[in-house]
Amino acid sequence: MKRRTLLAGATVLAATPLARPHAQKPVTIRWWYHFDDPKMSPAGLVEQFEKQNPGIKVQAENIPWGGGADYDTRLYTSIIAGIAPDAAMVKFNNLPRLMEMDALAPLDKQIDAWPGRSDISEDLWKLHRAPDGKRYYLPVQFVVLYLYARQDWFAQKNLKLPATFADFEGAAQALTGGERWGFGLRGGAGGHDHWCSFVLGGGARLEKGGLVSPEALAANRWFIGLYTQKHLFPPSAPNDGFQQVIGNMKAGRTAMTIHHIGSANEMTAALGDAITAVPVPRGPQGRGWTTFGDGSNAILAQGSNQEAAWKWISFLSTGEANVAFNKLSGQVTVTTSGAQHWAFQPQRFMDATTASLPIAATLPPTPQTADFTRTVWPQTTQKALLGQITPDDMMRVFEKHFFG
Amino acid sequence: MKRLRLLLGTEVPVACILAFALFPWLWMMLSSFRPDEDLTRSPVRIIPGALTLVHHIELLQRTSFLDNLRDSFVVATGAVMLGLLLALPAAYAFSRFRFPGRRALRVQFLVVNMFPVVLLVLPLFIVMRTLGLLDTYLALIMGHATFTLPFAIWLMTSYIDGIPGDLDEAAMIDGATRMQVLRMVILPLVVPGLVAVGIYLFIASWNEYLFALMLAGRNVRTVTVALQMFIGENEIHWGLLTAGGTVVALPATVLFLLVQRRLVGGLTGGAVKG
Amino acid sequence: MKVEGRALPWLLLAPALAATVLLVLAPVMETLWLSLHDVILYRPRSRPFVGLANYLALLDDPAFWESLGNSVIWVIAAVSLQFLLGLGAALLLNRQFAWRGIARALVIVPWALPSVIIGLVWTWMLDFNLGILNQVGVRLGLLDAPVAWLARPDTAMAAVILAVVWQGFPFFTVTLLAGLQGIPREHYEAAAIDGAGRFASFRHVTLPGLAPVIATALLLRMIWVANSLDLILVMTGGGPGTATQTLPLYAFLRAWSGANYGYGSALAVVLTLMLLSVVVTYAVRSARERSA
Repeated sequence: MKRRTLLAGATVLAATPLARPHAQKPVTIRWWYHFDDPKMSPAGLVEQFEKQNPGIKVQAENIPWGGGADYDTRLYTSIIAGIAPDAAMVKFNNLPRLMEMDALAPLDKQIDAWPGRSDISEDLWKLHRAPDGKRYYLPVQFVVLYLYARQDWFAQKNLKLPATFADFEGAAQALTGGERWGFGLRGGAGGHDHWCSFVLGGGARLEKGGLVSPEALAANRWFIGLYTQKHLFPPSAPNDGFQQVIGNMKAGRTAMTIHHIGSANEMTAALGDAITAVPVPRGPQGRGWTTFGDGSNAILAQGSNQEAAWKWISFLSTGEANVAFNKLSGQVTVTTSGAQHWAFQPQRFMDATTASLPIAATLPPTPQTADFTRTVWPQTTQKALLGQITPDDMMRVFEKHFFG
Repeated sequence: MKRLRLLLGTEVPVACILAFALFPWLWMMLSSFRPDEDLTRSPVRIIPGALTLVHHIELLQRTSFLDNLRDSFVVATGAVMLGLLLALPAAYAFSRFRFPGRRALRVQFLVVNMFPVVLLVLPLFIVMRTLGLLDTYLALIMGHATFTLPFAIWLMTSYIDGIPGDLDEAAMIDGATRMQVLRMVILPLVVPGLVAVGIYLFIASWNEYLFALMLAGRNVRTVTVALQMFIGENEIHWGLLTAGGTVVALPATVLFLLVQRRLVGGLTGGAVKG
Repeated sequence: MKVEGRALPWLLLAPALAATVLLVLAPVMETLWLSLHDVILYRPRSRPFVGLANYLALLDDPAFWESLGNSVIWVIAAVSLQFLLGLGAALLLNRQFAWRGIARALVIVPWALPSVIIGLVWTWMLDFNLGILNQVGVRLGLLDAPVAWLARPDTAMAAVILAVVWQGFPFFTVTLLAGLQGIPREHYEAAAIDGAGRFASFRHVTLPGLAPVIATALLLRMIWVANSLDLILVMTGGGPGTATQTLPLYAFLRAWSGANYGYGSALAVVLTLMLLSVVVTYAVRSARERSA
């Protein structure tokens, strides 16, 4: 009895079709995904797809995200060991590394012949092109970061919602006081999204010398100074992650923060009409920068069922299936047709998302980017926020990290 | 008077330690019954405004948590059995025999444990793949039992060291073989040690995350991996996490409640006299 | 008979040895080998042999030295506090009182929780705005104002140590409680006849009787704490800045998020060597004591 329990797992594995890819049975493709909400299951989409494609079975596996590290570690390990899934959800910051590993199958041919192609806007296609000019990623969801604001507090103080850095600082100043702060900065891992809006939007550029130019240094000095000198962010900012930033907003401790439509429903549940969103403010030269939060599917080059894998991932990026997918993932459809009858979050948050698209960008896909966002940015920025290094030193560390 | 001394000298300090040990867990349990909006209220409401079972119901009905509990239980029980089976004879050998290389070998077992596991998981993944064990109970049982083995052997050895060697010799003079001594003399006397090491193995396996993430996942998914699912990229499902977190502490605690009486009197004065 | 006697210990050790060699020693050797190469995770085909270059680079790496310093504080504070609290609890729970069984079981609750839960719960209790500890502290007048415990370099280390002490002290309680059962009752009786008080019998009977278990438990715990990084990773990620970045965490970040697996491996090997020197010192000392 005991013996049987121990071996149960092994038997199940041996019985799955993936152990015998040569068999003339239906093709099974393994697909890795991660959703924010563990209650959401793609089983319905799988069922619908399998009905339309009788020869293909989809085995969907939910991989823990773990701040990105767990998902990546598993993906890299499986690639190195030669047992990668057929398809997986992926992000830009991984693209350069996956390309260097030759882990991805180019999708240009399939995309060009795909009827769903025209339903995804040219802007999105442009963002999803790899540095070598090819396409490896098929967009399936996205978000754009915007600025949340407590419009009730703005109204009380007769302030207008900020459009420029000057508006932003003025409002933050006016709304800071007592146990309330103007802006909830995410200073922990992932907080580069906040910083980029103000420093890349304020004059820094991600090119050689672009992080230590006078404009770049000035923008960063100003931004760090909002915490170190003007105290407009909560004291806990250096270690705050997204849950603290959103929690502080919901608890009424901060007047503004930066996040995306993925949190719109919980924000309105807590704050109702008091909360709204606008695009992030623009810098003195009218430039702006906000993070395009990408989400794609890719096909792994190791797999022998690439054709079936393409059918599955292109199904997920098509019209209604993509709308259903994003209902599960809590993000925004990539299809033009799907966006027209979007009703999963209040309209004002969708408007802020759309209005942010012109300034939406991503960090350049280099092999250094993942390490920057996960380790280098938080460590260095925290040191500057704590006054252990100067803001200028901080920029020099970043310049060295990217450009040597 | 005696009652008062017991109360002040023992029961009150024990209560203080328990308060420290239990407060975070109780606070977590309390929050699993709170409605979502209660969690981000400032100032914090110590007494919940309302109580709800919604998180527990979601946990049971809309996640695979019960299956994950079962998987964890199978893995942890297997790891305890395999671990004790490997550790007891090894510890007996270390405790009762003097053979060349003994000390180096003992240290060798520890060295293995000194290496940060995060850097071993990639090679281990490839070993398990070669053995064809990926995503099976056996992979996790073997992984957990082996990586806790040094602790188990060392602890076990120090418990067996505490049993006087005269007992072995007396039994052997009576005609017992070494294996019989181990089974009939040592085993009954080392029960408190077995309990302590067994609990150690159970908890270490129960709480292990990295192997469970890397070496299993689809067919076998333990609670630590399942709990990690409640922490998304943009959202932490605090209700599910606290509901699951409260439950996760129970099996080991109940298990210890059942076996703790074995922590008494394994080695009494009378037995030592023999 | 003699031959069997000589082979027997090896037979008893064989299963444990086989498992360890296959599942642990082989991966350790592989990692050791990788540490002599320039291994970038995303360049699987190019792994030039670089000899000791990774080790030499480490000597010049200020982050290595800083992590080492943090590790020393982390290990000493965490292990000694866990031990003292665990010993106290074990002595108390060894006495006779009505609800002893349930108290013994409940005390292991912290140990029975996965690190990720412990990390998140403590982060939340220590939260600046929504944390119960700040609120109670202010209300009781212990704090003038809420403190951002995890965002200040002077308090972050103490905060993660608090969490790991909470997590780890039941290990000592259980191990020492089992060790206390091994002390023959007549030793206490003899001490009582000699007129020893409670403290004297603790010093002359309990402590010596418990010494082997204490030494082993301390050693094992030290190794475990020195290698553990999950609580820190969840609570601070090594921050603020690098205030709580310990050596294994640094090795992990370099190997996986920095993708520099060769350098990460070298860091891990160095950590192992340092721990090994502690263990060897311990083994030599305890052998000398025994022969003395």
